[in-house]
Amino acid sequence: MKSMTKHPKWMNRRAFLKAGGLALVTLGTGPAFLQRAARAAQEPTALGRRKVLVTIFQRGAMDGLAAVAPVGAEEQLAKLRPRLGMSAAQGAGDEALIDLGVGFGLHPALAPLVPLWKAGQLGIVHAVGSPDPTRSHFDAQDFMETGTPGRKGTPDGWLNRVAGKLGHDATPFRAMALTPTLPRSLYGPEPAMAVADLREFHVQSPAMGAVDAGRGFEALYAEASANLLRDTARETFEATRTLEQLDVSKYRAAPEARYPSGPLARSLRQIAFLIKSNIGLEVAFAESGGWDTHVLQGSANGSFARRAADLSSAIAAFWTDLGTHRDDVVVLTMTEFGRTAFENGSGGTDHGHGSCLFVLGRDVLGGKVHGEFPGLARDALFEGRDLAITTDFRSVFAEVASRHLGVADDATLFPGWEGNRLPLWRPA
Amino acid sequence: MIKHQRQPKPAVAQRRPVRVRGGLPRAARFSACRPCFVPAKQLVRCLALFLVLGPWLSPGLGSSFAATVTDAADPLPWAAAGLDAEAAAAHLLDRFAFGPRPGDVEAVVALGHEAWLDQQLRGIDDPVLDARLAKLPSVDMPLPRMISRYPADAVVRRMMERDGVALPSVDDPGMTAVKAEQALRQAIRAYARERRLRPISQLVGELYTQKLARAVMAENQLREVLVDFWFNHFNVSVRDTEVRPYVVSYERDAIRPHVLGHFRDLLEATARHPAMLFYLDNAQSGAEPGMPRSFDLDAYRWRLQRRRIVRQQGTSEAIYDADATWAARPKEDRRPRGLNENYARELLELHTLGVEGGYSEDDVIEVARAFTGWSVVPPAGAYGEPFGKALDRLLSLPGSQFVRDGLFLFRADLHDSGEKSVLGQLIPEGGGIEDGEAVIDLLVQHPSTARHIARKLAIRFVQDEPPEALVAALAQAYLENDGSLSAMMRTLARSPHFWADSARRRKIKSPFELAASALRGIRAEVGFAMPLMRRLARLGQDVYAYPAPSGFPDRADAWVSSGALLGRMNLGLDLVAGHVPGIQIDLGALDDGPEPESILAALDRYARVLLPGRDIASTVESLRPLATDPAVVARVAQEAAALQDLAERTLDTHDFEVSTRADGSRPAPPSPVITRVVGLILGSPEFQRR
Repeated sequence: MKSMTKHPKWMNRRAFLKAGGLALVTLGTGPAFLQRAARAAQEPTALGRRKVLVTIFQRGAMDGLAAVAPVGAEEQLAKLRPRLGMSAAQGAGDEALIDLGVGFGLHPALAPLVPLWKAGQLGIVHAVGSPDPTRSHFDAQDFMETGTPGRKGTPDGWLNRVAGKLGHDATPFRAMALTPTLPRSLYGPEPAMAVADLREFHVQSPAMGAVDAGRGFEALYAEASANLLRDTARETFEATRTLEQLDVSKYRAAPEARYPSGPLARSLRQIAFLIKSNIGLEVAFAESGGWDTHVLQGSANGSFARRAADLSSAIAAFWTDLGTHRDDVVVLTMTEFGRTAFENGSGGTDHGHGSCLFVLGRDVLGGKVHGEFPGLARDALFEGRDLAITTDFRSVFAEVASRHLGVADDATLFPGWEGNRLPLWRPA
Repeated sequence: MIKHQRQPKPAVAQRRPVRVRGGLPRAARFSACRPCFVPAKQLVRCLALFLVLGPWLSPGLGSSFAATVTDAADPLPWAAAGLDAEAAAAHLLDRFAFGPRPGDVEAVVALGHEAWLDQQLRGIDDPVLDARLAKLPSVDMPLPRMISRYPADAVVRRMMERDGVALPSVDDPGMTAVKAEQALRQAIRAYARERRLRPISQLVGELYTQKLARAVMAENQLREVLVDFWFNHFNVSVRDTEVRPYVVSYERDAIRPHVLGHFRDLLEATARHPAMLFYLDNAQSGAEPGMPRSFDLDAYRWRLQRRRIVRQQGTSEAIYDADATWAARPKEDRRPRGLNENYARELLELHTLGVEGGYSEDDVIEVARAFTGWSVVPPAGAYGEPFGKALDRLLSLPGSQFVRDGLFLFRADLHDSGEKSVLGQLIPEGGGIEDGEAVIDLLVQHPSTARHIARKLAIRFVQDEPPEALVAALAQAYLENDGSLSAMMRTLARSPHFWADSARRRKIKSPFELAASALRGIRAEVGFAMPLMRRLARLGQDVYAYPAPSGFPDRADAWVSSGALLGRMNLGLDLVAGHVPGIQIDLGALDDGPEPESILAALDRYARVLLPGRDIASTVESLRPLATDPAVVARVAQEAAALQDLAERTLDTHDFEVSTRADGSRPAPPSPVITRVVGLILGSPEFQRR
C-alpha cells in the first residue's frame, strides 16, 4: 500500500531514444519524465522496446457459435437455431459462413479478420470461458476481470496485477483504458488511467479560457503542501503538455486504415496513437458493447452481424494503422460467457456458457482454432443447453501475459488457479 | 428547528446478552421468541413486534452511553489542540458533514460545537429537505410497489410475451434489423406507459438525485455522511441487474435507519435485504446434497398428494402404488443448488471480523451453512417459482420453520439443519433461522469486529493511517456500549487525535465528497444528479456501482491519479460555468457584498467563503502573479463588458444555460472575475482536502 508521501514511479524506456513515429522528445527538452526515461535508457541495463497488450472486452456475452460456427454441424445448428443458423456450403449466398478450412466457418460480418487469419497472425480459441456456471453478466464479467472465477472479494483486476509485474518503472500512460470509467480489470494499487477521449486530457475551462485556468492550477499545485497532490499534479501537467505537443487532434491514422465509426474504433484509434507516440503504454483496455442479443439476433444481417462488423473492422483498421509497431502488439478479445446453443422465442439467444475469443499478434500461432471443441450434441452441451467449456480463460490470459509481456507469474495473476497455459505462440 | 424528542426507554428492555443453547450469547429479544418449536406465524408476529419496538428496545440514541462515555456538555478538546473556534467548527463540518455552506462555520460557533454535535447525533426536523424529496416518488414508495412499478425492459418484454402481444420482428414486411429494434423499444415503452409502469432507469436516477440532494441540503449532515460510509461498508452494486431494483430500498430501509443506532441492527438489516442476498448470492445458497434440511419440501408435497389420492380414490391399492412410487423416487435433489460461500466470506472478511480477524476457511463454510435458506420471496408468477400458491400455507404450517419478513424469506427447505461450529462455538443441529441469528450475535460481540469497524471509522473520519490509540478507544466504546454507533461517533469527536494537526486537512475528498462540498460551498441546487454523477464516475467514483463487495477504498492515493486530478480541476470550472446539467448555480448570490474591485480582492473574499477557518494565505499568494497579470486583467475586463452587453440584449429571451431562482427572477450572469476565482478555488489543492 502506498502512503501519502510516496512519489510516483517513473520509467525507463529505450523507446524514447528511438524517437520514431510521433515522439517529439529530445534530451534536454520536454517533460521531466521523458528526460528521465531517456537518460535511464542509456544505461546498459535498460531493456529494449516494450511490448503492448491491447485487450478488448465484448460486454454482454458474444455468441461464440454465431461468430465461429462448426462446419459440418449445419444440420445440428439448423435444428437448434432455425432462424439463426448459416451454412458454409457453396451457393449459400449472403447467408454463407466464411469457411476457414479447419472445420469452422467465420461469420460473414467478420470478413475483415480473414487476411489476418490467412497471414497466420490471428488465432481463435473456441469453447473458452469461465469454469463458474453463473449466467449473470455482472458476476461473470467480475470473475473474468478479476481473474478469479467464483470469488467475489478479489480487490484488484488481472490487468492491474499484470502491470504490477512488468518489473520496471512506468509513465502515467502505462496502463490505460480508453473508456469513460476505469474497468474492473485495471482496478488496483498500480496507477491506471481511464480516458474516453485524449483530446479532453487537459484543463478545459468553458468560462475563463483554458490558458488562465491551467496557469492558475499549476501555480496552486506547485505550492501544495501535500506531496501526493503536488507530485501527481506535476506529472499530470507534464502529461498534458506531452499530449499537447503530440497533438492527438491532428493524428492521422495510416491512410489504408479504415476505422469504422463507433466507440470501439475510437478507442483503438487512440491506442494506436499512444503506441506510435512511444510514451510508455504497455497495457491497454477497450470495450465493445451490445453483445447481449436476446432479441432479433439475426444471421448474416441483424444485431449480431452489426456488432461483429464493428468489431472486426475496428481490429483490422487498428492492425493496419500500427504499421511496424505491430511487432510489439498483441490484441486479445474476451467476453463474459457465450449464449444458448438454441435460439429463444424472440429470435435471439439467452445467456449461456462457453464462447470463443481471438488472439492477434506477430508471433501468435495463427490460422488455427485452438482448444477442443466439444460439439453440439445434446449430451455434450453444458446443462443440456450451452456450448460447454474446454478451455479455462485463465489458460489463455496466462499464456498471453507470459509469452508477450514476460509476466510468467500465474500464481499472482490468477490466485488459486492451478491449470496450465494453453500454448498459443509459435515456437521460437 | 425542533429537536426530536427521544422516547423514554422502558426499563425491561435492557438488551442484556443471555446464554442459551450451546453457550451462545444471544440478545434478549431473540430469546423471547423461543422455545424451539414456535409456530412460524407466531415467530413472524414476534419478529414484526420487534421491528416495531426496535427503536425503544435498543438503548436510545445517546442515553445509555451519555453517562459512561462522556457528558454531552463536556467541551470537545479543540482548544487543547491549539484551534480557534472557527477552525474547530470548520474541521467538524469537513468531517461530520459534507463541508460548510457559507455561514455554517459561524452558525456552529454560535450554537456551540458540542450542541451542534449533539443535534447531529439526535437528528433534527428538516422540512426543506422533505419538501425537495417529496418530488421523488420512489423515496417513500414501499419496496414491493417499487419493484412492480419500475420494471427492467427485459421484464416488460416477458410480460408482453406472456400477454401474447405480437413483438416487432425483422421478418415483418419492410423491416430492417435496425428498424425492428427501434420498433421493439417503442413497443416496450408504449406497453409500459399503458400500464403506468416507469423504466428502471428512472428509479436509478431518483436514487442518485436523492443522494446528492441530501448530501447538499440535509440539516442532518452526519446522518448523510454515515449513510455514505455504511453503504460503502456493506457495499452492493447497482450495476448488478439482479440487485438494481432493490438498491433504493437497501439504502433507505437497511442502512439509513441504523447508522446512529446499533451495529447489530445494521448488520441484520443488510443480511436480510434482497439487495445483499442477491449481490452476494446467499439467496441461491442451499444445503449441500445429502445434508439434513429443516423442512423436506418434497415429502410435504408428497403428503398433500397422498391425501388427495386417499380422498379421491380411497383404495388401499392406489395408496400402496403411490407409496411405492414415493419410496422409489430418485434420491438426488431435483434442484441441485449447493452451498454458496460468497456472503459468508465477505460477512467475516469485510462486514465484521476483518481479514486478520482470526477466522479460518472452515469458519467460512460453517457460516455459509448457518445462512443457508436466507433468501428472497419469489415474485408472484416468477419463472421457476418453487412454491406456487403454497408459500402462505407453508408459513403458517406448525413446525415448518419458514419465516417471512417483508421480501425476506427464510426457506427452511434450503436450510442445512446439521450441527455447525463457528469460531469454536457450537450451533446445535435442528436449528432454522436462528442459526444465522446466532452467527450474527457471535460476530457483533467479537473484539475483532469492534476493531475492524473502529479502524474503518477512524480512517474515514480522522486519517488514512489512524493512530493505534484512537482505534483502541473506538473499539472500546463499541464493546462497552453494546455496539452503539453513536457512542463511537461521540468518542471520535472527543478524541484528541481527531483534532490533532496530523489529522486536519489530511483526508483527500472522495469525488462525491468533493462535488457535495463544492455544491454546498457555492449554494448550488440539485435538480437531477445523473450528469454530475457520471462525471464523478470518470473521476474514479462510480457511486452505487463499485463492483467489489469491499466498497471504494478510503485512501488518498485511490483518488489522486493524473486523470482524476485533471478531472477534479475541470469539474469546478464546469460547475461555475453552469455546464453541469441538473445543477443550478447562482454565483452572484454567494455573498451580498459589492462587486470585488480586483481579481486579488475577489480571491481573498471567496477563499474565505469557500475555505472558512483555513489558512488561505498560500492559496492567495500562489495566484497573485496570475491575478495581477495585466494581460489577464485586461481579458477579464473585456469579458465583463461583453457579458454586460449580452445580458442587455438577451434580457427577455429564455436561455437554458442560465438557471432561474426559486422566486422566478433570473440571476445576473456571474462576473468573469467571480467565475475565475471560484473555479480556481474549487480546483485548488486546498479544496481537495478536508
